[in-house]
Amino acid sequence: MMPAKTMGVKIKMTIDGKEYECEPNQTVLDVAGANGIPIPTLCFNPLFASHRSGSCRMCLVEVVAGGRPGLQPSCTLPVSSGLSVSTVSKQVYRARRLAVEFLVSEHTQKCRDCPASGGCTLAKFCRDYDINGVPVCSECPNQRESCLLKRGVLCMGPITYANCNAYCTRKGYRCEGCHSTLVNEDVLRFGLAAYRDAGFRAEDILEGAEVFAHDKVSILEAVMKREGML
Amino acid sequence: MKVHVEHLTRVEGHGDIVLNAGSGKLESVQWRVTEAPRLFESFVVGRPYHQLAQITSRICGICSIGHTLASLKATEAALGVEISTQSAMLRRLALHAENLQSHILHIGYLVAPDLFGAGSVFPLIETHPAAVHNIVKLHRISNEMSDLVCGRTTHPTNLVVGGVWKVPSEKSLIEIRQKLVDCVDTFNDVARVVLANAERLPAFSRETEYVALGSEIEYALYDGAIASTDTGRHPVDDYRSVVNEFVVPQSTAKYCRHARDSYMVGALARFNLNHDKLTPLAKQWARKFGLYPVNCNPFMNNVAQVVEFGHSLEDSIALINKMLNRGLKDEARQKITPKAGHGVGAIEVPRGILFHDYTYNDKGVCAKANCVIPTNQNHGNIQKDMEAFAPTLLDRPGREIELNLEMLVRAYDPCISCSTHCMKVRFKL
Repeated sequence: MMPAKTMGVKIKMTIDGKEYECEPNQTVLDVAGANGIPIPTLCFNPLFASHRSGSCRMCLVEVVAGGRPGLQPSCTLPVSSGLSVSTVSKQVYRARRLAVEFLVSEHTQKCRDCPASGGCTLAKFCRDYDINGVPVCSECPNQRESCLLKRGVLCMGPITYANCNAYCTRKGYRCEGCHSTLVNEDVLRFGLAAYRDAGFRAEDILEGAEVFAHDKVSILEAVMKREGML
Repeated sequence: MKVHVEHLTRVEGHGDIVLNAGSGKLESVQWRVTEAPRLFESFVVGRPYHQLAQITSRICGICSIGHTLASLKATEAALGVEISTQSAMLRRLALHAENLQSHILHIGYLVAPDLFGAGSVFPLIETHPAAVHNIVKLHRISNEMSDLVCGRTTHPTNLVVGGVWKVPSEKSLIEIRQKLVDCVDTFNDVARVVLANAERLPAFSRETEYVALGSEIEYALYDGAIASTDTGRHPVDDYRSVVNEFVVPQSTAKYCRHARDSYMVGALARFNLNHDKLTPLAKQWARKFGLYPVNCNPFMNNVAQVVEFGHSLEDSIALINKMLNRGLKDEARQKITPKAGHGVGAIEVPRGILFHDYTYNDKGVCAKANCVIPTNQNHGNIQKDMEAFAPTLLDRPGREIELNLEMLVRAYDPCISCSTHCMKVRFKL
């Protein structure tokens, strides 16, 4: 039920530089939805529209003017006159990406690239935000001294996409990288540091990655250059 | 009348059968391979020696162990690397694991439906639950053995240039030996079921040349010289003079010929050439099936596979016993010094003799590669068999002609590529 005193009064707010007319009791998510501006959501369900927790952090938008500046969940952000938000800024993209990464870090890795999981929103977000997982090391039980790198074996685990439950390294064989090389620079940087600490040459790592991830070697090479390994 | 099977089901990859006949006379019959080339020989060029087995293993998901071993043998021959007796024994065990995996897959899931008159293995779950259960059990043990010896059920990680990466523990070998021993009865049950239905295999015979590895000391699978029923022994390095690959218009795969228009490789070729070296269990089943050398019925290749399953089962147990008696040694991995060289590796994989041939430059980088795959060597023989077999079928209904021709191709266990495909069969009368 809308309060009687505000009924019929329209206010104006701006999304991505364009002005929209709206009701004062709406949220930014409502206005975006009514005007076809895509904002991803996970915990928001239109059937329970009155319950808005703002907990999944997928609907974050950046307040540019007319409110407290910074990132705010659009599902709980009430509109106000002169409010201006961005749904596409670099900050927004990064924050949403981080939200998905946090969610999938605790999530099963197995269904991620299964074609049958086509209806999964989380899997879709992984694709949308270019999140391609964690390295084999995250599933590998070989810790510290039993790490193959420490034993002088060029294991592709640190830069290879997990979800095989570290089938090979678990039994003491080296990872050949058959799940292809990761492309997330933050993850790659950690992996490359592991190689550097163990004293492996950049050329050998690239040669190993080429077998199953020929298409991603240029990305790996670029990160190596930024890390001063090449 | 026209028979057009596009594409044939229950084989690996894409192949079509096209038959044209008018007023009781055969006009043409063709075995067409429609697979696109996969260019493995090109993309190993420029790769370092230690990656070649890893890459060529991916030629096939069924013979991945065979491709790995042929590749390692070629690389080791080129670089002059010798492997230890223990490594050679483990590799033989790996090859047996693959033989067991592949043969039971072919007999159990792909051929059995023909013998029981079913369209696929799924109706058999209802009608012959015990047989299907036994087949799955045998397949499972084969996979477990491969997992233990090779590190994985396919695309081995344990087999490397210079030997093996890791020796399995004594405990795990004893465990797998016990499972294999328990499997002998299961195998006998499966073989009995196949025997009871073997009369469905057509009695067709055509003399041809059989080529396989041959050895004085064992039923040659891992090692030996090239042997032919027509021309005797040839050194492995002369493989080009045996395979003589050539191109035909109807097929994207190459054909091969040696002493005659075509030759056959595979379980039947191995049986015809090396039957006297089989284990007692295998010999016993060969007798029960009435399989005597030289058998020229291509349909008996299915039976030869059953016989070889028994051989691999028994020989694996013997090999494990031998290894345990010698005592397992943790050998240090060999240090390989790359050098220029040329080497050929020949090995018997489930579908026949396989050659890998590599040339390396002084840095140990591959400069040239040639792989001759068993099924390609069989294509010519499949075509010739069809030409001889089809005229004997023309008085039968179209569906039966189709089924018989399909069974002929299936008997060769062709591995035209390794992919799974959705099949559509079109049949015109």
